[in-house]
Amino acid sequence: MEVTKVYVVNSALVKIDRHFSKGYKELANEVISEVISKSGIESVDLVVVSNMFSDCILDQLDISTILMQNLGMTKVRALRVETGESSGLAALETAWMAIESGAAENVLVIGVEKVTEYPTYKINKMYGKVLDYEVEFIRNITPPDYAALVMKAYLKKFGLKREDLISWPVKMHDNASRNAYAQLSFRISPEKVFTSMVISDPIHLLDTFPLGDGAAALLLTSSKAVRNTATEPVIVAHVDSAVSTQFHLREDLTRLPATAALASRLKEKFGNKVLTEAAIELHDSYSIYAYIILEELGLAERGKAREIVDKLEFVNVSGGLKARGHPFGATGVYQIAELYKLMTEGFAGKKFDGEYAIAHSMSGPDYNARVALLQKLV
Amino acid sequence: MFRVLCVPRPESLTGIVGWGAYIPRQRVKADEIASLWGFEKTLPKALWIEEKAVASVDEDTVTMGWYAAKVAIERGNVDPELVGAVFVGTESKPYAVKPSATIIADALGISKKKLSTDMEFACRAGGEGIRLAIALVASGTIKYGLAIGSDTAQASPGDVLELTASSGAAAYLVGPASESVAQFEGVVTYVTDTPDFWRREGSKYPSHGEIFTGEPAYFHHIMTAVKMLFDELSLKPSDFDYAVFHQPNGKFPLQVGKKLGFPKEKILPGIVTPWIGNTYNGSALIGLARVLEQAKPGDRILVATFGSGAGSDAFSIIVKDGIEERAGRGPKVEDLLKRKKYVSYAQYAKSRRLYIRNIG
Repeated sequence: MEVTKVYVVNSALVKIDRHFSKGYKELANEVISEVISKSGIESVDLVVVSNMFSDCILDQLDISTILMQNLGMTKVRALRVETGESSGLAALETAWMAIESGAAENVLVIGVEKVTEYPTYKINKMYGKVLDYEVEFIRNITPPDYAALVMKAYLKKFGLKREDLISWPVKMHDNASRNAYAQLSFRISPEKVFTSMVISDPIHLLDTFPLGDGAAALLLTSSKAVRNTATEPVIVAHVDSAVSTQFHLREDLTRLPATAALASRLKEKFGNKVLTEAAIELHDSYSIYAYIILEELGLAERGKAREIVDKLEFVNVSGGLKARGHPFGATGVYQIAELYKLMTEGFAGKKFDGEYAIAHSMSGPDYNARVALLQKLV
Repeated sequence: MFRVLCVPRPESLTGIVGWGAYIPRQRVKADEIASLWGFEKTLPKALWIEEKAVASVDEDTVTMGWYAAKVAIERGNVDPELVGAVFVGTESKPYAVKPSATIIADALGISKKKLSTDMEFACRAGGEGIRLAIALVASGTIKYGLAIGSDTAQASPGDVLELTASSGAAAYLVGPASESVAQFEGVVTYVTDTPDFWRREGSKYPSHGEIFTGEPAYFHHIMTAVKMLFDELSLKPSDFDYAVFHQPNGKFPLQVGKKLGFPKEKILPGIVTPWIGNTYNGSALIGLARVLEQAKPGDRILVATFGSGAGSDAFSIIVKDGIEERAGRGPKVEDLLKRKKYVSYAQYAKSRRLYIRNIG
């Protein structure tokens, strides 16, 4: 039996913001109704919900069931996936496997996160739990601390000064200024990055993402079901993920092992051009990671990513985690939703005519990494 | 429209007969608090807070409120026996049960035949006290009403709130418009259930919802109340000579004023928080006192209070003849701002009873 292809046939997203007047159900319902209503698909047989914090912030377990009950979708299969910050792409991975294996034909992927219910210190505390609770968290190590260590190691290894690495946030804010769904859609100057509050030296406030609520949805179908769609399909050619080495066991802090493994597997399977010519949404939770991810993906030589930042036309068109925002469990779904629009109707003032697009997501300092390859239908 | 033209608003039958303020002498620098707790160095500047007033061991809501009220009565040159209501707006009353208003009233020799109560609505109860006094005077129930806003605000040590939470008081003697030097033109109040800042029974310090205290609370309520006032009185920002807002820090009043269309020059005269901190129920009311002490007859003043929880009262006040003479009858806010003595964080902590110790 021929293996079916997997298609994204529609995407929907809400502006990432501090949605004080909306709960997670309202945010999710908005994108669900939008993604289904315009697709031409009448029913789904699996719903995958990506959410990172529902149990510790919303006091809600089994969020997929509660969401479906709320919508009156009581006969559907529904589950939640959580792999830390990369949960969104893990949801896509689950949906992709279900369709490819023939277990489902139409799958709804929802990413939703509501973090503004509590003060920042509580969210930061929960966020620290993406690391090993028994080894790292109880020693007060949090993701920004690791990002600071990585940045220090990177500066030392390549003989750079801190001010050599401020182009990324400036570029992201510029991109976000054209993205109607971005949380921080204003431009910033390089000086502003440097004078902003220190989060964990040398990481400044403007090296990292804002806290915001968001919801995004995707509709995926099989080869058979894609014939019924009213919208333009894009192929999900590949989804892959890898687990990385613990931070304290890494020999070179300027490398991201899981991301590196995924890049080499992609290259092996689809050739180098896929990486160098694709539109990319990458996981820049801290700006230092953006530079290293560009190097791991082979877009720049080691230590030289800063030289190409200004020339990147289709990398993080959204503004990235830095400026579009990072609603944790929803972020990976945002990335795919944005790339789908970029390849079809256009997104954030741009349209991508190339063949491939890649979403890259990771959790903490690359504790796990995930990539998804989208391919234009020719 | 016909009714509005023919029947004057009841507020306009009343005005400010006297006012007074009190600011404790002790000041602690915001930079010292920021440095002790490891706050970002730029934070005090970003919030525009330079120093804050610190009530000493012998100052509290009652003593400060009493002083401000004494000055208000002296400015008005009114017989205390004719004051028919005393309201104290505070969120830091010395007794959980036992009114502060009665202590102040008796200490001032105010009539025993009166209304007297403490009111709590975070930082705006003092503003509501003025509204109640206006209503009582306008209805003829009383001749003069005294509304006091007084606080020794609490902040958990190390909370960002500690940079601003301070102590101070203001008092307003409301009476017939004919005796006043500043007449009320209109008042509007806007109140909702918005949990942006709270302190539960038994908690020593308040909690707050960070940025939630801004947009959906402070800005939404003040802007709504002010716009309602503009609508009801058919006024616009350019009709006002001064705008005074509740000032949790120096930045917010400038921001809300800008959003409403007021130039900085009309807001700055009423700003006091950068030099004395947020005196809570005293905040906007000390700002108003400072403006009254420099205003000229004919000037129109906008005042908008704010209290978490949340609500805002917007007042339009028209300054009348005799304002300068009446301002000269008592110590001015400007004098109180200058009267200061710097203390260390340790002395501040002692004054505010932040140290836990055995007594006796």
